Amino acid sequence: MSAIKSEPFILNIGPQHPSTHGVFRVRVSVDGEQIVDAEMVMGYLHRSMEKLAEERTYTQNIPFTDRTDYLSSMSNNLGYCLAVEKLAGIGVPARGDAIRVIMAEFQRLASHCMAVGAFANDTGAWQTPVMWSFRERENILDLFEMTSGARLTCNYMRIGGVAFDLPKDFVPAAQKILDSLPKFIDEIDELLSGNEIFLVRTKNVGVVSPELAANASLSGPMLRGSGIAWDIRKADPYCGYEKYDFEIPIGYRGDSFDRFSVRLEEMRQSVKIIRQALAGLPGGPHSTQVPLALRPPKGEAYARVEGPRGELGYYLVSDEGPSPYRFHIRPPSFINLSALREMTVGGTVADAIVVLGSIDIVVGEIDR
Amino acid sequence: MTRELVGEELAAHAERLAPGSVAKTTATACYLRPERAIEAFQALRRDSQTDLIHLTNLCGVDFWDHFEVVYHLQSFDRNHIGVFKVETWDREKAVVPSVMPVWFGAWMQECEAYDLLGIHFEGNTRQHRILLWEGFPGHPLRKDWLSMPGGLQPGLSEFAGTARRETPPVRVVED
Repeated sequence: MSAIKSEPFILNIGPQHPSTHGVFRVRVSVDGEQIVDAEMVMGYLHRSMEKLAEERTYTQNIPFTDRTDYLSSMSNNLGYCLAVEKLAGIGVPARGDAIRVIMAEFQRLASHCMAVGAFANDTGAWQTPVMWSFRERENILDLFEMTSGARLTCNYMRIGGVAFDLPKDFVPAAQKILDSLPKFIDEIDELLSGNEIFLVRTKNVGVVSPELAANASLSGPMLRGSGIAWDIRKADPYCGYEKYDFEIPIGYRGDSFDRFSVRLEEMRQSVKIIRQALAGLPGGPHSTQVPLALRPPKGEAYARVEGPRGELGYYLVSDEGPSPYRFHIRPPSFINLSALREMTVGGTVADAIVVLGSIDIVVGEIDR
Repeated sequence: MTRELVGEELAAHAERLAPGSVAKTTATACYLRPERAIEAFQALRRDSQTDLIHLTNLCGVDFWDHFEVVYHLQSFDRNHIGVFKVETWDREKAVVPSVMPVWFGAWMQECEAYDLLGIHFEGNTRQHRILLWEGFPGHPLRKDWLSMPGGLQPGLSEFAGTARRETPPVRVVED
């Protein structure tokens, strides 16, 4: 049968494909059903934020950070403010820290709702899980609107604290959400984790060994799904995370299902953290006074937080000017893609969709 | 708490594992000689005392007369983080060795630094313009690329337009 010659076929997944969650393209070479090569094409959403930030003051840059990872604006604000505070040596009052923790954890819940729902969508559980998780996410976004005035791009954190104190009816509203969320998490857990089709689609798909995870600079649920218990909230606590009692969920096989279940378990832990933070919410000021034209001393600072997608870091260099000399974001979903080829090659195209969903990319953050 | 290794500690480790690889030391960072950097990084990654197995962050900084490539390396078991830097002084042909053989995941961050700053990473087999398109004029994160449209200055009212960078500062960060 030497007359039949087969050639790899190039297939574009994206730029506008539901599974890429934005404008992102993967050029896969397929040999029959099997993927032999995968090449990422990105930059459709590039806005050159790092250059723009060099021309604006430190406070003016906070809204930019909302627009990188638009599904977790609170965490982005927090990471950036921590970096500036580290650079300028600014402290945050206890109430400010507690509010930051509450907001960052609510943001993790909202983001993981999206991640879990969209992942189920990618595996073929069409629309029901994603609508259920949107229903829950909506309540959290209402809470953000109540506090900061915006649902998606909150711009709530400030250098030295947060923009406003919590509104009067925030705590009861938050309690109500916290009471209903565990029920939802259990519901979606039952719906998906026991579903045979879901298990067949996700188990042993996109396996990342712990060695590869560490070597490929992965972070967040990608790293923990592979069995490395590394969470910056525990390892390098910020905003008083050392005061709260929570656990780091890990997976053992490093496949797509493990990353999914790590996210679900993280949601349970987030609920636990918020309950503790609300119970021990200190009084006092929510922010320290910081000069509007902040000029941090010469130097550099790298601060990171555990964002919903992984280690979210900000590297700032100051030359004593009113704006950062260099503003670099360490975007977790960009770097989590570095092992995409290793994860997809050898599988089928349908598996590549599941792998992309399990990485939980946000294209605004990849391209910046 | 993650311990931040100071420059001298990092330099001592690098000198112990790869003698002669340290170019200079500052309070926070250790500068490696480009030609010895890969050897030093390999050793720092394997050594049980440093155990820097995770390359967290890699980025380039333009200082007008030279570029710095900054590496944030951390260890999970020892829970510490260190900052290494490599300098390149040729603006036209800025070349540093790629750390892809040491930390495979560096390839994307190196592509980004190549794309936006024009630093070539020798040995990066996947180097291409990752965010911008092939043929884009220049490298936008370089300080001399262009400033804001209309020559606008940042700042608030009376602070606007002060202390801007009309003249290139030489050696901005700690000398």
